[in-house]
Amino acid sequence: MTSPAPFIVLTGITKSWGDSQGVAGIDLTIARGDFVVLLGPSGCGKSTTLRLIAGLETPNTGRVLIDGKDVTALPPAHRGLSMVFQSYALFPHLSVAENIIFGLRVRGLPKAERSERLEKALSLTGLKGYEDRKPSALSGGQRQRVALARAIVAGHPLCLMDEPLSNLDAKLRHEVRQEIRQLQQELGMTVVYVTHDQTEAMGMADRIVLMKNGLIEQQGPPEDLYEQPATAFAASFVGSPPMALLPAGKLPPALSAGLADGLIGVRPEALRLAGAGEAGLPARVTGVEFLGGETLVYLDSAAGALIAKLPGRPAVVRGSDVQITWSASDRHLFEAASGKRISNPAGLSAPAERKTGRMV
Amino acid sequence: MSIATPTYASRTSVTLDAVGALLLAVLWIAPLAFALWAAFHTPQGALSFDLFAPVTLDNFRTAWAGAPWPRYFLNTTMLVTVILAGQLFFCTLAGYAFARFHFPGSDLLFMLILLQLFILPEVLIVENYAMVSRLGLFDSILGIGAPYMASAFGIFLLRQAFKGVPRELEEAARVEGCGWTGVLWRVYIPAAKPVYLAYALVSIATHWNNFLWPLIVTNSNESRPLTVGLSLFAAPESGVNIAVISAATLFTIAPLLVAFLIFQRQFIQAFLRAGIR
Ligand SMILES: Nc1ncnc2c1ncn2[C@@H]1O[C@H](COP(=O)(O)OP(=O)(O)O)[C@@H](O)[C@H]1O
Ligand SMILES: [Mg+2]
Repeated sequence: MTSPAPFIVLTGITKSWGDSQGVAGIDLTIARGDFVVLLGPSGCGKSTTLRLIAGLETPNTGRVLIDGKDVTALPPAHRGLSMVFQSYALFPHLSVAENIIFGLRVRGLPKAERSERLEKALSLTGLKGYEDRKPSALSGGQRQRVALARAIVAGHPLCLMDEPLSNLDAKLRHEVRQEIRQLQQELGMTVVYVTHDQTEAMGMADRIVLMKNGLIEQQGPPEDLYEQPATAFAASFVGSPPMALLPAGKLPPALSAGLADGLIGVRPEALRLAGAGEAGLPARVTGVEFLGGETLVYLDSAAGALIAKLPGRPAVVRGSDVQITWSASDRHLFEAASGKRISNPAGLSAPAERKTGRMV
Repeated sequence: MSIATPTYASRTSVTLDAVGALLLAVLWIAPLAFALWAAFHTPQGALSFDLFAPVTLDNFRTAWAGAPWPRYFLNTTMLVTVILAGQLFFCTLAGYAFARFHFPGSDLLFMLILLQLFILPEVLIVENYAMVSRLGLFDSILGIGAPYMASAFGIFLLRQAFKGVPRELEEAARVEGCGWTGVLWRVYIPAAKPVYLAYALVSIATHWNNFLWPLIVTNSNESRPLTVGLSLFAAPESGVNIAVISAATLFTIAPLLVAFLIFQRQFIQAFLRAGIR
């Protein structure tokens, strides 16, 4: 994914306010035309990173380069980007049309060009007929579209979005997710998108940058994060239901992968009921959730609680005792102390590496 | 207990409220009502309260001819305009600075400005007089207006209004290309419009009626506002009677009354909205 001329480069970025740490040291390269999602739990520094790119914050140390130009000291207006805010930040005293062309007016574009661009933005976002309404007379989804239209109308090559869907209901969120992705590809924009919702990240991103405590935990395409989580944190944060992380010491010897301590992670869909004579982890069923094509089975074991996603409708009921197992190729091993992935434990049959050298 | 059947207690309290309000309204309107009565009657008729006393417009003719009223009107209009313009300019910039910029000593400075609210303007009259004379503004419109332009109340009001504007609006404007003046002009000022309206109405009413300071700092008809002109006109030594004074009073307050009647709704709403923030 590293094209010859990266579009955005962050090097050695730190940002703190007194004792409050926003970003603890970030190096990040973003390629032109990519849809990059900054993912992580609340307070991990995603918004701060985005605002540093936008120029709404100035880093304590480090540089920000956009399109080969050092913009570290430039105000947002001179960075050639647009932004969609969580609250949409629509100007309440302006109509939809005036909100959309706000920036064009500020930059003094001639009227003819303003209305031409407005028309295009309106039709791209399906807002035709709402031009004269005030934001207060719009639904949440429509306001979101106005914010999108304002972001694309200037034709900037870079668009930053901070949790733009978090104020929409679940159904709408799913629709708009696809629309944003489509718009991005149609217009060839580079998008940096912040969310704490891993399904959103998995569904939209070309690349995910997973953050924790102001640092980048892992970055790569969604499938890499899913299949090759670099740390136990990445393993538990990406994927729903989350990966079971079982202390090796509490597992039966046959399943402990020869580790004395450390964590063994298995995705819910890789868990299965042990066949006769097969080594298994004894567990009690604490709940069963039938989803149609598959069933979520909630289990409690000596190694902790875990969730299995079993195909079809397995013959288990609440309160029954089962033996649960998994294939060696489906397990992920992590160091106990650091949580780091043990990628190729010596003398052990490691899980098949899909692509090597893409982890960070 | 439903709303349809109010209790005896609540009914009496409503009645008491209404009576109290009515009493206050009557007390407040009484001088105005008397002026209205007196202005259209002869002095004898005005004081006899005879309902069938003949109605006359002579008082207005006499009053209008008795002093350079057009000049006074012009002066007062210029005065309230100059003061309001100065206040809007200074209070907007100061309010914005205190709401959104942090500079060394900004909190202390703001406290000092707030302290100004505790000082009666009358206390400062001598000091202001000396200052205005030193500036060479004695007996000029600007001289009457200058002490009121950097209004502590206005700065406080606008600072609060600006502080209530969501940060993301400012940030959106900055991303869209605004500098700090652009942000002020395109985001903060439009957002504070109701506050501006309320403030402007109060300012105009206050300075249209202001008397003591203009009396002291003016000594020619070229700068005297209506209030000072009216007091000279009504002074005992000028020998005009109560009916003529009433007529003069009526036309000096007429523009303000008309404005209040027109803006009554906005006036009340502006205050409610400004208060809610
Ligand atoms: N203006 C600020 N002043 C002080 N601390 C801040 C400020 N902005 C963010 N922080 C802190 O930085 C950390 C990261 O915040 P943020 O980037 O907003 O997290 P998130 O990943 O939820 O978007 C948080 O602990 C937050 O308290
Ligand atoms: Mg955030």
